[in-house]
Amino acid sequence: MANEMEYITKINAEIHEMLQIVDALGERVQNALDSKRRGMKDAAYEASVDIQHREEEVTALCVGSLIKYQPFAGDLRAITVALKVSYDLSRICRYLYNITEVLEEFEVGACEVNDVSALLKDARSMVSMSLTAYFDKNRSLASEIIERDHSIDERYRMVLSAQRRAPFGSGDCILLNGLTARIIERMADHACYISSETAYLVTGRRTSYR
Amino acid sequence: MDNCTYEKLDISGLDAWFGDKQALKGVSLRIKPKTVTAVIGPSGCGKSTFIRCINRMHELTPGNRVSGVVLLDGVDIYKSVDSMDVRRKVGMVFQKPNPFPNMSISDNVVAGLKLIGAASKKELEAVAEENLKAVGLWKEVENDLKKSGASLSGGQQQRLCIARALAMRPEIILMDEPTSALDPASTAKIEDLVKTLKAETTVIIITHNVQQAARISDMTAFFYLGELIEYGETRTIFESPKSPLTERYITGRFG
Repeated sequence: MANEMEYITKINAEIHEMLQIVDALGERVQNALDSKRRGMKDAAYEASVDIQHREEEVTALCVGSLIKYQPFAGDLRAITVALKVSYDLSRICRYLYNITEVLEEFEVGACEVNDVSALLKDARSMVSMSLTAYFDKNRSLASEIIERDHSIDERYRMVLSAQRRAPFGSGDCILLNGLTARIIERMADHACYISSETAYLVTGRRTSYR
Repeated sequence: MDNCTYEKLDISGLDAWFGDKQALKGVSLRIKPKTVTAVIGPSGCGKSTFIRCINRMHELTPGNRVSGVVLLDGVDIYKSVDSMDVRRKVGMVFQKPNPFPNMSISDNVVAGLKLIGAASKKELEAVAEENLKAVGLWKEVENDLKKSGASLSGGQQQRLCIARALAMRPEIILMDEPTSALDPASTAKIEDLVKTLKAETTVIIITHNVQQAARISDMTAFFYLGELIEYGETRTIFESPKSPLTERYITGRFG
C-alpha cells in the first residue's frame, strides 16, 4: 500500500532491528568459521535469545494490531507475513548459533572449510536480500532468491559427497563440514520462505514453498 | 456454502434511476441459494437501491425507474410476477427497527400473515412462537406476548422485525444495515441469527461494517458510484481483492 499504516511501520521497524542483529551475528560467525575460531558460542546464544524475545514482541504487536484494527487485504497480509518473517529470522539466528556449537564441539584446526565458508557467505547474502525484497515489496527479487536455493542445495550435496570421500581418520572435519553444510542449507530455506511470503504479500496469491 | 449450481438470483444489466439521476449502472451478479451475501461500499454507492430493486421497492417512489433483468428462481420479477408476490418472497429488514407500536409482540410477528388472511388464530399463535424462537426472542418475551412491540429494547425490536419477516416464509431476506443502531451484544445476536438463517433462506445484507461483512457472509459485493466493482467469495475479497478500489475501501483508505 502506498500509505502504510502506522502499526505496520512499527512492526517492520522491529523486524528491521532483528535483521541487523542477524546480519551482525552472521558476519561474526562467518569470521569464526573462516578462521576456525572458537569462543563465539555464548555471544551467539545471547543473540539468539535476544532475537527470540524480539520475535515475541513482533507477535504481540501483530496480535494487538489484529485486535485493534481488524485489518483486511494488504494490511492483513502485511501482518500475517510479518509474523512468519520474524519467525524465520529467529530460526536463522538459531542456525547461526548452531554453527558456533559445531565449531566448539570438534577439533577443527586442520579442516578445510572453504566450501562451507562460501556456502555460508551465499546463504547470508540470500537472507539479507530476502529481507530487502520484503521491505521493498520486490517480487522479482524474491523470485531470484528462491531460484538461488537450487544452487545452495546442489552445493550442499557436493559438500556431503566430498566428505564421503574424505580420508579415514578425519572424523572431526567430516562432521564439521557435514553438519555446518546442513545448517546452512536450512538457513537458505528460511531465506526462501521469507521470499515466498514476500511474493504473497505483494500478489495476494500463495505459491507454496514451505 | 455448498456447491449448488443453480442461482437463487440472477441479475443482469441492472440500471436504476431516481428521476434523471442514475443510481445503479449495469449491475450483474448471481447469488446462490442459502448463502449470505454482504453488500458493502461507501455512502451513496447504490447499495440500498440495489437491494430495493430485488424486492421491487425502488419503483414505489414516483419518478424512480429500473431496467435490466432480475431473475428469482429463473423467473423475471419485473415481467412475470406481481410486485406483491415478489415482496412476499423477498422479505426486508431495515436499519432502524420498526415494530408496529400499536400491536402486541405476537401480533407484530404475524402482521403480514393476518393481512393476507392466511391462517386461523391458533395457527397464528403457533407461527408467532415458532418465529420468535427462530430469532432467539421467545424466552425473553414468552410472558409478555401481549405487550407492545415498542416496549422491547432496540436489539429485541430488530429481532422482532426479523421474526416478522420470517413469518412470511420468504425465500430471500434483504437486510439494510440491520445492526447499525444496536449495541455490540445485540449486534452479536443478530449476526448469529443471520448465520443460522441461511440454513433455510438466502440473505443479502448491507453493512458499513466491513468486519461484520467478513464475519457473517459467504460472498461479498463491493459497490462504488453505482457500479459493482468486485464480487466474490468473502475470504478472497478480504484477503486479496482484485480491484485496487476494493482494497482501498476495505483497508479504510477512503469511504
